Amino acid sequence: MQMKDKVIIGLNLKYYMAAMVLAIVSGVSTLLPYASAEGKVILLLPLLLKLGGTSYVAVSFYAAAILAIATAVFSIVQYQKTSKRGVFAWQVISALNCVAWTSLLFVSKMVLEGAGIYGKFLNKNLSAGFWLGFVSAYLGLIFIMRVTGTNIGYILLTIMSIIWLFPILWIVLTAFREEQGYYVGYFIPHGFTFNNFVELFSHPEVLPFGKWWVNTLIVSAFGCVINTMIILMCAFILSRTRYPGRKTFMNVLMIIGMFPGFMSLIAVYNILKGLGLNQSLAALIIVGAAGAAMGYHVTKGFFDTIPKALDEAATIDGATRFQIFTKVTLPLSSSIIVYIVLGAFMGAWSDYIFPSMLFGDKQASYTVAVGLYWMTDFRRIDSYYTQFAAGALVVAIPIVILFVWLQRFYVEGLSGAVKG
Amino acid sequence: MDFETQESSVVKPVEYRNFFTIFTKGNIFSKLSYLIFGLANIHYGQVIKGLIFLLAELVYIFFMVTAGAGQIAQLSTLGTHTQEMVFNEEVGIYEMVPGDNSMLILLYGVIAIVITFAIAALWLLTIFSGDHARAFAESGRHVRNFREDVKSLFNDKIHFSFLAIPVVGISVFTVMPLLYMILMAFTNYDSEHQPPGNLFHWVGLENFKTLIASSERLSSTFWPVLGWTLIWGVFATFSCYFGGMILAIVINSKGIKGKKFWRTMFVITYAIPAFISLRFVATMLGERGIFNVLIQEWGWVESALPFLTNTTWARVSVIVVNFWIGVPVTMLMVSGILMNIPAELYESARIDGANPFVTFWKITFPYMLFVTTPYLISNLIGNFNNFNAIYFLTGGAPNSLDYFKGAGKTDLLVTWLYKLTKDSNDYNLAATIGIIIFVLSATFTLITFSRSGAVQNEEGFQ
Repeated sequence: MQMKDKVIIGLNLKYYMAAMVLAIVSGVSTLLPYASAEGKVILLLPLLLKLGGTSYVAVSFYAAAILAIATAVFSIVQYQKTSKRGVFAWQVISALNCVAWTSLLFVSKMVLEGAGIYGKFLNKNLSAGFWLGFVSAYLGLIFIMRVTGTNIGYILLTIMSIIWLFPILWIVLTAFREEQGYYVGYFIPHGFTFNNFVELFSHPEVLPFGKWWVNTLIVSAFGCVINTMIILMCAFILSRTRYPGRKTFMNVLMIIGMFPGFMSLIAVYNILKGLGLNQSLAALIIVGAAGAAMGYHVTKGFFDTIPKALDEAATIDGATRFQIFTKVTLPLSSSIIVYIVLGAFMGAWSDYIFPSMLFGDKQASYTVAVGLYWMTDFRRIDSYYTQFAAGALVVAIPIVILFVWLQRFYVEGLSGAVKG
Repeated sequence: MDFETQESSVVKPVEYRNFFTIFTKGNIFSKLSYLIFGLANIHYGQVIKGLIFLLAELVYIFFMVTAGAGQIAQLSTLGTHTQEMVFNEEVGIYEMVPGDNSMLILLYGVIAIVITFAIAALWLLTIFSGDHARAFAESGRHVRNFREDVKSLFNDKIHFSFLAIPVVGISVFTVMPLLYMILMAFTNYDSEHQPPGNLFHWVGLENFKTLIASSERLSSTFWPVLGWTLIWGVFATFSCYFGGMILAIVINSKGIKGKKFWRTMFVITYAIPAFISLRFVATMLGERGIFNVLIQEWGWVESALPFLTNTTWARVSVIVVNFWIGVPVTMLMVSGILMNIPAELYESARIDGANPFVTFWKITFPYMLFVTTPYLISNLIGNFNNFNAIYFLTGGAPNSLDYFKGAGKTDLLVTWLYKLTKDSNDYNLAATIGIIIFVLSATFTLITFSRSGAVQNEEGFQ
């Protein structure tokens, strides 16, 4: 074949033939039966002529047909006169072709029913023409990417990030949705508004969301600072010092940790009642701090990797253990500190079980977790749904701020975690 | 450990004694310090320290005499007087006479026992502290005074000061409540024996028997729930593990531009706390939720799918949603480890002509498995106890008539435990399940400990 002799720097022409065949198949598939239902068979091109409209769903049909033919034509043109720029342009067309064919999966029903061609259409009525076009579009794209040396992972990443962002997008759209209520039969809201956020904060007697938010911030901020200190101190002792009973202490912690934590909440509640602390925010902070040391493992693992020679050198220089902790170990541990801070904050911020048990029906003391859960009760969900979404976004604010601030440390922080 | 400066000219080697020889070889002060806390310390010059020990003993004795002893004694019966109505002749009406409150008796008893254990630990500490002072004094060294003792809390005795808060905190808010709940598993504290109206009492292993081996509804609930817990744990752990690993490998592979961008796309799901997104996804999966609306509108199905109402659908749904929640975390963690794999391995594999799949199976995967086994096992245990994923998504639904009150087909042992505590007040059953979960976790942890180098060799990197 002619291709074998061609060499173009930056292109891997070994896969060109396969890509071209698939592109042509994709083009030809527009001529095959597109769908068959209710005893009728319809091709894609005649369908286009029938449609005639310019609604946004019909556009996908035009795009799919045009792009499928375009990619076939392009492959033949490039075969005659291959150039690097040409192949990259072909790759872009091919990618768009995939998008168009994929979107047909979502709009076929609307278009075919809307145009009055089929009464009750389901995607299982799609025929060879569609599936051939769909599969060859993707396979063709893969081979073109091989020709251009582009990482095929982009396809996977694109599809996965759409799936992963879909629920988040739904929360955001719901938060700004003008129409209230849980059951809506469409994805994009008909009207946008900030009112859900305003409503969230404007009825403190029914829904003291502002107070919940402040409560949670207080608990999380205190908890974050106190727990981080306790975890660091505990991990330091268990990692950098040796004393009789150390192993026993670690084993006891491990055994305690194997019981499901909230098994004992009833008893904790009674003890707090005895101490006169029940139904108060202080109780949340104290109980959080009391158990903080249980999460020492990751930090200890990190401290284990700091060379012991550093401690010994400091001891020779006359440093006490306390000074080693503050002046040697801590400055070396910024990434793990970030990890603990994030974990401690998020833990306190989204804890549900204990606050819900602690506060019962004392609504004013709720944290956002308990409050938002209260809003999703099936009796309230319909009237509070959009506000619940708005609340979810408000709750996310401090986390996003913390994340953006700490993000680049975060990956490193976790990587040290597993070594130990 | 001896930082003391050597002051006197004649210094004999320090001679410590063990628990028994302190008594047999010791003088009268050492001998009496077994009874009177801190006596040896006072004798050898550590007066303040010795007095503090003594004060602790006196407080304990006072506590035991006034309350503690009685509380421990009551533990054997858990109360004998039921609350009842008694005719008061003076006023001429029936009056409520408060009886014993079994729950409080149990709680106070546990507190008294924990305090006793704490004092026993202090007792050992004082004996050895006294011997330490004696050994130093006899060998002619300087015995630390109180100020030096306080100072040493920031140096060679730093574990006392740094661990004080955790030890007290864990004893009060974890150990004590746990003991209380463990003991509860051996009582009949269920919905029909609620204090203060009723007493409950010890029943031995009765709860374990009914839960595991009776043919009643309870054990026919327990075994399926346990089975689903195990299935869920395995699927939830490994799906997220492989999903996250593949995602991390793709993002970190050569030729992907904008690694940070892609990573952020997935981490964004984290900005909204899991309990909220789980609640939201639960509403989205409802019969008239947005998923069902959309897939009907798209023409994928004819009628709504029972995502959370049919047993099999619901079980698959929770695993899939957990995958959605869990993959970004695993991705972040795996990203870090991937960067640690020596690049030469990949280089030589590439020269030998290995394709990406071979490289994954022969290099990446074995390396990952080696490094992450402890993580994997602890994740497995975490998933057996993954309360959030189940409770916020399905709440254990769909409920089943075959199951004991309230339990549903997606309930894990932990969510069932929670329901038993919160909704039906069957504390004895909840505690029994808690102990069974403990046995389950302990088994898996033991496996990790015996297999993993990272756990055994904690000083490997130092």
